[in-house]
Amino acid sequence: MVYGVLRMINFANSEIFMVGTFATIIIIRDLFKFTQASEPATGARLWLILATALIFSMLVSGVLSMLVEIVAYRRLRRMNSGVLAPLISAIGVSMVLAESVRILTDSRPVASPRAMEKKFIGQFFDAGVRIDNTIIVISALILFAVLITFVNKTRMGKAIRAVSMNPNAARLMGINIDGVVSATFLVGGLMTGAAGFFYVLKYENTASNIGFELGIAAFTAAILGGIGNIKGAFYGGLALGLLETYASFFLGTQWKAVTVFIVLVLILYTRPNGLFGEALTQTRA
Amino acid sequence: MKKRGLISVAAAAALAAASLVAVAPASNAAAKTITLAFQGPLTGEEASVGQDELAGMLYAVKLFNAKNKGKYIVKVVQADDQGDPAQSAKVAPGIASNKKIIGLVGAAYSGATIAALPYYKQTLLPMISPSATRVSITNPAAEGGAMGVPVFHRVPPTDKVQGPSLFKLATKGVSSPKVFVVDDQSAYGVGLVDYMKPAIPAGQSAGFDSVSDKTTDWSATISKIKTAAANVVIYTGYFPQAAPFFKQLRDSGYTGILAGGDGVLSPSFVTLAPASVLEGVRLTAGTVPLAEISAKLEADFKKSMGKASGVYAAESIDATNVFLSCVAKGVSTREAMLKCVKAYSGKSLTGATIKFDAYGDVAGGAMNGFEVKGGKIAFTGPVK
Repeated sequence: MVYGVLRMINFANSEIFMVGTFATIIIIRDLFKFTQASEPATGARLWLILATALIFSMLVSGVLSMLVEIVAYRRLRRMNSGVLAPLISAIGVSMVLAESVRILTDSRPVASPRAMEKKFIGQFFDAGVRIDNTIIVISALILFAVLITFVNKTRMGKAIRAVSMNPNAARLMGINIDGVVSATFLVGGLMTGAAGFFYVLKYENTASNIGFELGIAAFTAAILGGIGNIKGAFYGGLALGLLETYASFFLGTQWKAVTVFIVLVLILYTRPNGLFGEALTQTRA
Repeated sequence: MKKRGLISVAAAAALAAASLVAVAPASNAAAKTITLAFQGPLTGEEASVGQDELAGMLYAVKLFNAKNKGKYIVKVVQADDQGDPAQSAKVAPGIASNKKIIGLVGAAYSGATIAALPYYKQTLLPMISPSATRVSITNPAAEGGAMGVPVFHRVPPTDKVQGPSLFKLATKGVSSPKVFVVDDQSAYGVGLVDYMKPAIPAGQSAGFDSVSDKTTDWSATISKIKTAAANVVIYTGYFPQAAPFFKQLRDSGYTGILAGGDGVLSPSFVTLAPASVLEGVRLTAGTVPLAEISAKLEADFKKSMGKASGVYAAESIDATNVFLSCVAKGVSTREAMLKCVKAYSGKSLTGATIKFDAYGDVAGGAMNGFEVKGGKIAFTGPVK
C-alpha cells in the first residue's frame, strides 16, 4: 500500500503490527479482565469483545502509522531526500518502537488470555476446521474486498492512485499530496492493526520482537506477488504460507527458509516483477 | 540451565555491580573476616534466577555468621553478569583480581561460566555453580578437555543426566509410547536431544524436529506430529516458545503427553497459556523446591530473607555450605579453599551426598520431576 504510493518500503510497519497485537491484548486482558484461568466468553459478549479489540487495535495502529509518517517521512519527502534517507529513518523508527516495547515488557513474551474457545466447527477433507481460523480467513477476504473497492471506487482511492502514478501531475490537478499520503498511511495502519488482532486471536501470544520476522515474511510475500500490488500481496502471502508448510513437512522445519528463498529467486529469474507484476495500475495502491 | 546471548541495555550497571555487601551485622575485633562472591544475573531479563540464587547464598551465610559469632564474619561480593557471556567477561576480571575473595558461588548460567573461566583459572578462584548444567564444562572428552578443571565444580546433575530422565518422565505410565522430540536449535536444546537419543528404545521414537526459537506458527511441526501419531511430545527449549507450541498443539486436537526440560521450568511458563491447556505438562530439573525438602525450612527462609525461595535456592545453599564448611575448618586462602573443596564430602539439604569427581561434577545426582497442576508447577518427586 505505502510502497505503491510512495515507492518506499515502510520498514516500521512490522512494529506497527506488533503494537497492534499489544492493543488487542490490552482490551482482552485489562478491559474485559480475562485471565489464564477464565472461562472463554460466548454469544453476544464474545462478539462485543472481539469487535472492541479489533476496532481498538485498528485505531491504535492506524494513528501510530500516521504519526510515523509525520515524524519519520514527511520532512524528508518534502526535501526530496531520495530513497535512502527515508529507508534509514524507517529502520530507526522501527527500532525505537521495538526497543520501547521491549523495555516496557521487560523483554518477556506477553500472552493473551483465551477469550474465545477454539472449537472445531467442521471438516474440510482431512483437516479440521477451527472457528478462529475460519473467522480469520473470512475477515481477510472481506478486508481484501473492502480495500480493493476503496482504492478502485472511492474518491480518495482515485486520489491515491493518481499520486501513485504521477505525484507531480496529481499536485497540478489540485490533489493535496500530504493528505493523500496521510490517508495511505492511515489505511495501511488500519489493515496492519487488523492483522495484529487476527494474530492474537490465533496465537494468543506476542512479544516486542515478533515484528521483524513477520515483517520479513510479509516483505517476501509482497515481492513474490509483485510489490506495490494489493492482489499480488494477497496471493503472494497465500503462496508463501503453503510453500513454508510443505517445505517444513517434507524437508524438515529447518529447511523452511532455505526452500522459500530458493523458490523466490527462481520465480524472480523468470518474472522479475513477481507473480502478478508491479504494473497492475488498476489495483495498485 | 543455560543462557542464550541477550542484548543488554544496562552494561554500565553491571560494571559497577561488584559491590561489597556486608551480611554480618556488626564487626567483632576477634572475628576473622572471610569474603565469598556470587555471580549470576541480578538485573536484566533473567534477574529473577540470579536474585533467587543470591537469596539462597545469603541465607546460608546468615545462618553461618549467627552460629559462628565472634569467630568468623563472612561477607558476600555480588557480581552481576545478567546471564550474558559478554557481561560475564567484563565482571570476571574484577572478581578474579580481588584476592580477598576465596570462593565463588556461580556462575548461574553455563555461557557466562565459560566466559569467566579463563580469569578464574588464572587466579585459581574455586567456583561452585548451583545451576550451570552444560556438559562440556566438565567433559574430559570435549575439545580441549574439560575446560572447568581445576577451579569449576557444580551441585546439580548435568544435561547428560537430564536427557534420559526427561524421556523417562515423559513416557511414565504410557503403555506404548510413540515419542516425538522437538528442539529449539540452541546449544542447550540440541544437546539435550543428543543425550536423550541413546535412552530411546527402538520402536518408541515417532520422529524429531528442529525449530527456530523465532517460530510463531507451529503448524508444520504439528502436522508432522499428527502424521506420526505420536502420543508423547517432548520440547527441549525454553518456556517462551514452549507455551505457544504446547498451546497450538493442544488446540489442534492433540491429547497426548507434553513434556519439557529445565528450560521450560519457569514461573512465567504458566502465565503464557490457559491453565486448561498446560494442565499435566511434565517437566524435569536438577533443582528441588525448599518447601519440598521441609516446610519448616521454607518458613524460616521466608522469615529470614523476606521472600519465598525460588528456583535453585536449595542448590545455592548447598554450594555455599561447601565453602562455609571449609571456612569453619580455618581455610582463608584460595589455594587452601580449592584443596578443601576437592576433598569435601558432605550431605546436601535433601540428604544426598555431595562429593566432587576429578572434573568437578557431583557424584550421582538425580533429576526431579514436576507437573503443571491447576496453573501452578508442582513437584512430583525424583525421576526414577
